[in-house]
Amino acid sequence: MSAPPTDLAPPRNTRGGVSPRTKRKLTMSTARPWLLLAPALLVLAVLLLWPLLRVVLFSLQDYGLREIVSGRSNYIGFDNYAEIFADPMLWQVVLPNTVGFAIVAVGGTVVFGTLVALLLASLSRGWRTVVSSCIMVAWAMPAVTGTYVWIWLFDADRGLINGILLGTGIIDDPQNWFTDRWSFYAIVVLNIVHHGFPFVAITVLAGLLGVSKEMIEAATVDGAGAFRRFFQIIFPTLRPVFAVVIILSTIWDFKVFAQIYLMPGGSGSNRSVLNLGVWSYVESFAQNRYGLGSAIAVLLTLLLLVVSVLYVRTLFKEEK
Amino acid sequence: MSAPAPTRSRASTPEVIPQRRPRSPRARWILAAKALAVAALLVFTLFPTYWMVSGAFDARASSGAQSLLPSEPTWENFRYVLDEGGFGTFLKNSVIVALLTVLASGILALLASVAVARFKFKFRTAILMMILIIQMVPLEALVIPLFVQVRDLQLLNSLLGLVIVYVAFSLPFGIWMLRGFVAAVPEELEEAAYIDGASWGRMFWSVLLPLVAPGLVATSVFSFITAWNEFIFALTFMDNADNYTVAVGLQQFFGENSNQWGYVMAGSTLITLPVMIFFILVQRRLSSGLVAGAVKG
Amino acid sequence: MKKLRIPLAMAAAATLTLTACGGGDGGASTNAEGETLSVWIMQGTNPDAEAYFDEVKTKFTEETGATLDVQFIQWAEAHDRFVTSIAGGTTPDVAETGNTWTGEFADAGALAPLDEYVTAANLDGDLVEGLVESGTLDESLYGMPWYAGVRSVIYRTDIFEELGLEVPTTWDELVDVGLALKEAKPEMTPFAIPGDNGYAAYPFIWGNGANLATKEGDTWTSGLTSPEAREGLEFYTGLATEHGLSSAGATTWNAKDILDNFVQGNLPMAVMGSWEPPAILEQNPDLEGKIGAFPIPGPDGNISPSFLGGSHLSVFESSENKDLAWAFVEMMATGELADKWAEQTNYFPGQTSLLEDAVASDDPLVKPFATQFVEGGTSVPVTPQWGAVEAQKTLPAMIQSILSEQKTVDQATEDAAAEIEELLNGN
Repeated sequence: MSAPPTDLAPPRNTRGGVSPRTKRKLTMSTARPWLLLAPALLVLAVLLLWPLLRVVLFSLQDYGLREIVSGRSNYIGFDNYAEIFADPMLWQVVLPNTVGFAIVAVGGTVVFGTLVALLLASLSRGWRTVVSSCIMVAWAMPAVTGTYVWIWLFDADRGLINGILLGTGIIDDPQNWFTDRWSFYAIVVLNIVHHGFPFVAITVLAGLLGVSKEMIEAATVDGAGAFRRFFQIIFPTLRPVFAVVIILSTIWDFKVFAQIYLMPGGSGSNRSVLNLGVWSYVESFAQNRYGLGSAIAVLLTLLLLVVSVLYVRTLFKEEK
Repeated sequence: MSAPAPTRSRASTPEVIPQRRPRSPRARWILAAKALAVAALLVFTLFPTYWMVSGAFDARASSGAQSLLPSEPTWENFRYVLDEGGFGTFLKNSVIVALLTVLASGILALLASVAVARFKFKFRTAILMMILIIQMVPLEALVIPLFVQVRDLQLLNSLLGLVIVYVAFSLPFGIWMLRGFVAAVPEELEEAAYIDGASWGRMFWSVLLPLVAPGLVATSVFSFITAWNEFIFALTFMDNADNYTVAVGLQQFFGENSNQWGYVMAGSTLITLPVMIFFILVQRRLSSGLVAGAVKG
Repeated sequence: MKKLRIPLAMAAAATLTLTACGGGDGGASTNAEGETLSVWIMQGTNPDAEAYFDEVKTKFTEETGATLDVQFIQWAEAHDRFVTSIAGGTTPDVAETGNTWTGEFADAGALAPLDEYVTAANLDGDLVEGLVESGTLDESLYGMPWYAGVRSVIYRTDIFEELGLEVPTTWDELVDVGLALKEAKPEMTPFAIPGDNGYAAYPFIWGNGANLATKEGDTWTSGLTSPEAREGLEFYTGLATEHGLSSAGATTWNAKDILDNFVQGNLPMAVMGSWEPPAILEQNPDLEGKIGAFPIPGPDGNISPSFLGGSHLSVFESSENKDLAWAFVEMMATGELADKWAEQTNYFPGQTSLLEDAVASDDPLVKPFATQFVEGGTSVPVTPQWGAVEAQKTLPAMIQSILSEQKTVDQATEDAAAEIEELLNGN
């Protein structure tokens, strides 16, 4: 596996500052990192960078089935974008669903995950191992299976939730939870938080265990309550951890697809629950309007890039 | 969730054996609240999984008459999904795809992370930035161009086509995470190996690799999950039931048996179990890996 | 076709059977030893499809030497599946294409014209007209008529008998019967209105004299906003929202859910396809002798037109051996195998000479459908763009939004009509 580097001269560490060396050696040590990087960069270039450029190119074309089969291009400028921005669907349904959902889901996941981490940190070692293993179970459940379990739980005729509500007399007739935009997304939030909080909990827990206990003890002696201890000591120390979990969750929740597409009505017949990802997919693969679908995808990417810039800035600030 | 504070010092020093000193009423109250919180957490976390597994074993799940405990335990649901549902094929495909993805992305990410962590070269920061930004790109946005790309590579409808896409997806995260681990390996150890006359390759195998193993575990988990759970690309790339991975296989199966919840849950259980076992096995290494990689980054 | 009573048709069928066998060894294609023909067939049409295709495979190999690779595709996502395979260049050699899609795929340049083959096989004029029409684009035939079906109401004869109910013949009677069922069988859903199935709603639009879309000059106009269409839809969705004959769950049901629930005994009647009785009886043999069918009533008697759905067999342009592909198409769509298929699936064959016999059948599970087929079989607007309307789920979205009371009938029809016009007129 390390084939390319082995036939080169033994490496010299370059991190400790540039020591005088011969020209030949310099060439080799400049070549080695590139050799090591080459396979990864090649994969990234062919499968991420070029497609990223291409999605932008597609978004400027009237790209249909004919074009995709023949490979011809058909540029129409920014018409696709104009169409999207003029579509009330974007402003009334898709964007609020995407952004609103992401905010609620990220908030829910991070707050709940942190609370769980705090709880875990307060447990004895044995219990902590047991409980965190159980939490892993929720994380490990694939999105597709998890979604079907939630669908079943909330199924109008055969679901447990309706069964309980009917049985206790809270509702008189079965309720279809998937037709209403709010209850539909409430189920999606439940699904996402359930699947996403273990990552937050485990990451924050690992960070918590690293927080200096002297500081906390000192604060306790000073009479600081639990809330003050959390916000004055733990949170600032763990800021980078929180930056990571918040931003990763944001990215995951913005582009959620399967959890919506697979729900009853989620693949297009219930217009009020579309989000950017599903809308792009439906326009592309059901309507053969790959150009329009690409434009929606570009919009989604740009939204996320804003978040990414924040992420990168936070991380680099921490490093300095 | 109650305030965990009073036991904080104990929790932070897990080596200390919990003292059995008499508790004040307040401490006891807190303990009870905590027990309640743990119980509630476990119910919330485990219930969907429990419901899935119990449905899978319940002969009456399909008729909507399932109770909290399977009333008529049976293996029939599993027999059906394996014999008629084709889940054996789906599982096999997913195992192949996941293992190849883990292997290939692990190797590529390790090599690349050594480059960015151990060497100083032109454009190093630029490459790091690029990797970070790429990690933010929503893969769902790339379905169309990647579909065309994989078609041009003649890899549609083949497991390999999915593998290369998944490798690309898991690389940025893998590189970013492993970078932290490689940087944490003391250079003295490497130098000691050279003094013993080891070549770079030998040093890599016997010094670097064992030390970054926890990081590799964490990245492997991520690429494994990516490959095992991924849905939208598998849905678009595959149009032959022989090549379905578990996620698409289950979706297709659901389309045919949407009201046979016993079957659907048996299929779900089959494809969830391998991931769960894998997760619980690597759990401990995973959490240290996550923090080291994501935070020290 | 043993029971053919029309001598002329018998002669025709005999010739056809001969041609079907003969067609194989005529061209160069016959010696296709070692070749494989890939075929996509819709799932669920024939409850015993495996056995049927085992026979087809053997026969095909006997006649041509080539092997047959059959993949089953689900209706619910077949359209997207076709589109991706066309875009990805991974199309099969032959596929069953829903008759509303054939024009769309032909328009994309994915299908091969079949006129010459049809003429060479002496099939001109012997193919069911409605299916030829939907399989034709710009004067060329791209879809070989295979089978056709129509939706009527399937009901539980045992329950109707028990309650002394008569089969409804007007919309008012439909409501009365539904209310009587609701009263007597509270655990059942008297008349489920599936939100994710547009076809079940069409008869109530057409039956009231409205249309989905008509073309005038170069412009399509949707009739959904007409008072007739609105009245029809008001009645149809009112069965759920006003009379409570449907259930909350049904708002997201598709045709498969209707079938499942009928099989489980939750539905005393429902709009279902002529092809569904065999599947019902296979999944629940207890219902043998307890089900019947009646044509969808019109508002004041007569029959509401119902969508004449069906399938073509299409040869893809990407197929390397089109003669071999046609040999398969001909084998499936004409003669003995076609007859057997129609018999097993309760579909109507796409060959006129075979159809006549089916229509004359006295089988209580065939006759009502045949009546509906002949007297009230209608097509959706004939244009390649109609596939896009279906893919956009315009009509299911409309019905769902009315059922869940997110929109009024007026608002929902207005939105749907605008969407249909936009799609058909191509922006």
